[in-house]
Amino acid sequence: MIDKRIVIDVGDGAAIPDPRDKGLFTAWRISFFGTLGIIAYLLIFKTDPYLDIIKFLPDGIVVTFKVTFASIGLALVLGLIAGLGRISKNTFFNLAASTYIEVVRGIPLLVQLFYIYFALGHLVRVPDMVAAIIAMGFCYGAYMGEVFRAGILSIDDGQTEASLSLGFNRSQAMRYVVLPQAWRTILPPVGNEFIALLKDTSLVSILAVSDILRRGREFASESFLYFETYTMIALVYLVITLILSKILSNVEHRLNHYERR
Amino acid sequence: MNADNPIISIQNVHKFFGTFKALDDVSLTVDAGQKVVVIGPSGSGKSTLLRTINRLETISSGTIVVDGQDINAPSSDINLIRAEVGMVFQSFNLFRHKSVLDNLTLAPIKLKKEPRLEAERRAMELLEKVGMVDKAESYPVQLSGGQQQRVAIARALAMNPKIMLFDEPTSALDPEMIGEVLDVMVTLAREGMTMVVVTHEMGFAREVADSVVFMDEGKIVEIAPPNRFFDHPAHTRTQRFLEQIL
Ligand SMILES: Nc1ncnc2c1ncn2[C@@H]1O[C@H](COP(=O)(O)OP(=O)(O)OP(=O)(O)O)[C@@H](O)[C@H]1O
Ligand SMILES: [Mg+2]
Repeated sequence: MIDKRIVIDVGDGAAIPDPRDKGLFTAWRISFFGTLGIIAYLLIFKTDPYLDIIKFLPDGIVVTFKVTFASIGLALVLGLIAGLGRISKNTFFNLAASTYIEVVRGIPLLVQLFYIYFALGHLVRVPDMVAAIIAMGFCYGAYMGEVFRAGILSIDDGQTEASLSLGFNRSQAMRYVVLPQAWRTILPPVGNEFIALLKDTSLVSILAVSDILRRGREFASESFLYFETYTMIALVYLVITLILSKILSNVEHRLNHYERR
Repeated sequence: MNADNPIISIQNVHKFFGTFKALDDVSLTVDAGQKVVVIGPSGSGKSTLLRTINRLETISSGTIVVDGQDINAPSSDINLIRAEVGMVFQSFNLFRHKSVLDNLTLAPIKLKKEPRLEAERRAMELLEKVGMVDKAESYPVQLSGGQQQRVAIARALAMNPKIMLFDEPTSALDPEMIGEVLDVMVTLAREGMTMVVVTHEMGFAREVADSVVFMDEGKIVEIAPPNRFFDHPAHTRTQRFLEQIL
């Protein structure tokens, strides 16, 4: 059954632009080209110190992306398991998944990061970046779990019944029929989570992981150019998230295409 | 027909949804090659009965034996049994993310490990049979209801089932599309397929059915060959129902 309740979805990712928006001045274009313009202006007219600042950041950008991709990968796996658990009729599996989601959602991400990081440190010696990835993935996996659950539930029961009637078992029906369709519903919120996660990776800078923010802080504490450094960091994050939201909106558009006649 | 050895044997089946009794001591046997049409008012348990035959609904008590196997016995593999029992739904339920051809080949390739080429060749034969060859590359959303239902029938046939179950296959269709689907079903019946069909198409019942089953309030009220059923119904409830719909 289609759930007719209106969902007000205030994602914490960047706004995903609508590709059908054909006006010359879209919010995305103003933000993106405005940001590039300001960066260009700073680099040309205030070369010192902005050139030094931006040259200091690429290593951090690479680290930010590594943490983001690895964490989202882990979050997707955990999210799929948690989402399947939440709709499972198996009481143990269902309770375990629900508890995981409740607990994770009730604790601030920063606190979880510290907690997992130091708890993990007691048990095994893992590199800082790995600990950070596990913590981020664990946390975002819970949010992903709800996304997967909603995506799976959005697929009509008839699809599963048709699969079962052909001789597929439940997990085959899930794998071959339900998930490939749910993916289209899941993709937009996953995209939002991806961008939100990229921004939240700035939190790992407190865990001795040299992401964009930490590289910036190192630069600022040596040069005392706090304002200039954080200006550049904000601009760099903005460019990255704007590019990502554009890519996501295009992918989404293409996936939706075949659904229309 | 070998009446001693029916391909479907339903004995004293009860089905509860909570405290609601949807099937009340239902018994019915279907011989290989027989066509049974099930009719009855809304909520009388027709769909529930059909869905117990491939265990989409589990029964509360009684036994159902399909092709020699007690389908509710722990020892029987329900997935293998379901592969032998095709089902066609009122709402078609084609796989929306697959082309028509892929709808037909998915199960044979994944479940029977048929080579893709072989599965596609067979799929094209079936599409030919239901008159849908030119839409092989289309997606379900691009088809009319009648076309989708014909593809759904072909998809069920792709597993070479011994039995076909139809749950009001034409009820969701615009009137002008009902004929094309019924034609396919009549052809299938002529070829000797064992069929259990829930439908309100009385013309189809008269033409094709070996016996007509009338259900009301979870019970089978009457079972009779179509001529006797329509012209001389034995029960007053059957008579009243027929008066209403004819
Ligand atoms: N999953 C379910 N949970 C609770 N009640 C159900 C469920 N499925 C069916 N029922 C009830 O069982 C009764 C029989 O339903 P069924 O769908 O078999 O009727 P039907 O004869 O097919 O009717 P229709 O002609 O409307 O399709 C109905 O009263 C229905 O409300
Ligand atoms: Mg029904």
